[in-house]
Amino acid sequence: MSIHAPILAIAVPLLGGFAVPLLARIHKKIRDLWVLVVVLVVAACAGYVAAHVLKEGIWIYVLGARNPQETLAPGGFPIRIMLTADAMSAFMGIIAGLIVLVAFPFALKYIPEEEGKTLSLTLGVLLLAGIMGMSYTGDLFNFFVFLEVTSIAACGIIGFRTWTGRAPEAAFKTILLFGLSGLFFLLAVAFLYGEYGALNLAYLAAQIKGSMVDRLALALFLAGLLIKVAAAPVHFWAPDAYGEAPAAKTPLLVVNTQVSLYGLWRILFTVYGGALNAGVGWLVVSLGLLTMVVASFMALAQTDLGRLVAYGAVSQIGYMMLGVGVGLVTLSGRPDYGLVAMKGGIFHMLNDALTIGLLFLCVGAVEWAKGTRDLRELGGLGHGLPGVALCFLLAALALAGIPPLNGFASKILIYEGSFRLSPILGAVAVLASIFLLAVFVRAFQGAFLGPKAEVEVKLPWGFFLSLGVLAVGILVLGLVPGFFVEELVTPAAKALWHGRALYLAAVLGG
Amino acid sequence: MAETLTIFTGQGYWSPLIWVAGALGTLILALFVWSRGRREYKRNTQQELPFLSGERVDNPRVDASHLYWGLAEALKPLLGRLKAWHSGVLNDYVGWFIVILAAVLLLALG
Repeated sequence: MSIHAPILAIAVPLLGGFAVPLLARIHKKIRDLWVLVVVLVVAACAGYVAAHVLKEGIWIYVLGARNPQETLAPGGFPIRIMLTADAMSAFMGIIAGLIVLVAFPFALKYIPEEEGKTLSLTLGVLLLAGIMGMSYTGDLFNFFVFLEVTSIAACGIIGFRTWTGRAPEAAFKTILLFGLSGLFFLLAVAFLYGEYGALNLAYLAAQIKGSMVDRLALALFLAGLLIKVAAAPVHFWAPDAYGEAPAAKTPLLVVNTQVSLYGLWRILFTVYGGALNAGVGWLVVSLGLLTMVVASFMALAQTDLGRLVAYGAVSQIGYMMLGVGVGLVTLSGRPDYGLVAMKGGIFHMLNDALTIGLLFLCVGAVEWAKGTRDLRELGGLGHGLPGVALCFLLAALALAGIPPLNGFASKILIYEGSFRLSPILGAVAVLASIFLLAVFVRAFQGAFLGPKAEVEVKLPWGFFLSLGVLAVGILVLGLVPGFFVEELVTPAAKALWHGRALYLAAVLGG
Repeated sequence: MAETLTIFTGQGYWSPLIWVAGALGTLILALFVWSRGRREYKRNTQQELPFLSGERVDNPRVDASHLYWGLAEALKPLLGRLKAWHSGVLNDYVGWFIVILAAVLLLALG
């Protein structure tokens, strides 16, 4: 079974998601158990793929071939559907597997049956299938298909609370922008298919030399994916979406954004690595700076705790873009600091998934206990919900990059790498972090400090399990960052930085 | 062990262990200074009542909007513009997408 781990990580949630409503008709407990099994299988497969890739190198899995490693059809052409997992895709798979596993106990208790728990679980599992597919696919058209799977499932989750009015509006805006994203991505795929008659990432990477069609396709890829990664000024959907989706599912929506960012890196580094000009890197860096600054400022203006955290989440996308963008700018010369910044940007994806995930779950716990997220009505919850208050504070400090927490470990790499490219970049990144700290101190004070507020509802154990594991994760990543950077992040960064030739050789031979 | 804890940034390094040791030292020093302080504090007396600008306050709640009030006031013109930018109108959002599309086309084809 283990040789099929990459496809099982996609097929099990894809088929398992559709089985959820059927099993719910038999018994709700069977449904819950089934979702748990699906989540465990995905997490185990993601872990196995990562362990295998880090030990043995790139893992190719070919569908429809007699041997899953038989990449080329007779004639030396990669025609079959192919999964290609290198250290970067394995890293992305680990993030998705980890977050879905940790958030599961929270999700199980958060949405009551009468509000459509079965539908919520179905959409969550399907979103997971799309994320895993985007992480492992080695084929552009399949990437598009999984991009659409994630878009549809994500919008279902965002608009889940149809009775609120705001949620369907957020879902409508998001699906329209995601639709544009998918449309432009597909158009880019069509241009490349028309030019080269192939959809395989490695084959296209070997063919692309920077012709007019190649560059046109690159522009379309960029335009499409920048929407999905929520880069300013096309980030508008994200605060609405994160703010309106059920809190239990929001960590998965954050991972969905990150996997789109992964797709952007895959196309820029692996497919176009040899035909990129530094201007594209500077565009990514500039949009990263704009995203972190705009989102940090907008967070200050929020009175809804959920939307405030949502803007915090958007601002972190800016840090990832800045870190990896510095790597793109310096790709031709490959100085050391370019790799340092890239490590920071990639490490920040994992840290962000944990910290933002924890913040959203805390928001969910607050809403569960008090029935509101309005900071003007909240206050004094630290007395009744000390565990939630502590977790919120820990995650907020980590997000703002306060040592010795995990956010600082990745941000210091981004600061140093970007500072060496241009001191202004590092300075803006530090200032945005300081601003974000002020915003989250304000949020913590508003929600948790002050005279005691009565909390009559007892939070389920599943809430504390998810919160506790995420909080421990933040501490562990912050206190032993060297282990994770060396074992997971550096191989992932190197896979993009100078792993292109290996990627092509693994698929095309030679 | 040191490599497990430390990350190298190219020009330096970050070791949480050293930071935690420094923080603990600072905490011990702070506790020492605190222990040398005055001891006439009495619980459940007027000493515990909050005063704002010399006025007694019956409901001593400091609202979230009060925190960084000066900063928010100073940034009001900028925040006003940013809020207007986040209009919630889908046409505006698509308009910004067209701006980005034009920018990437110019960059890639130029």
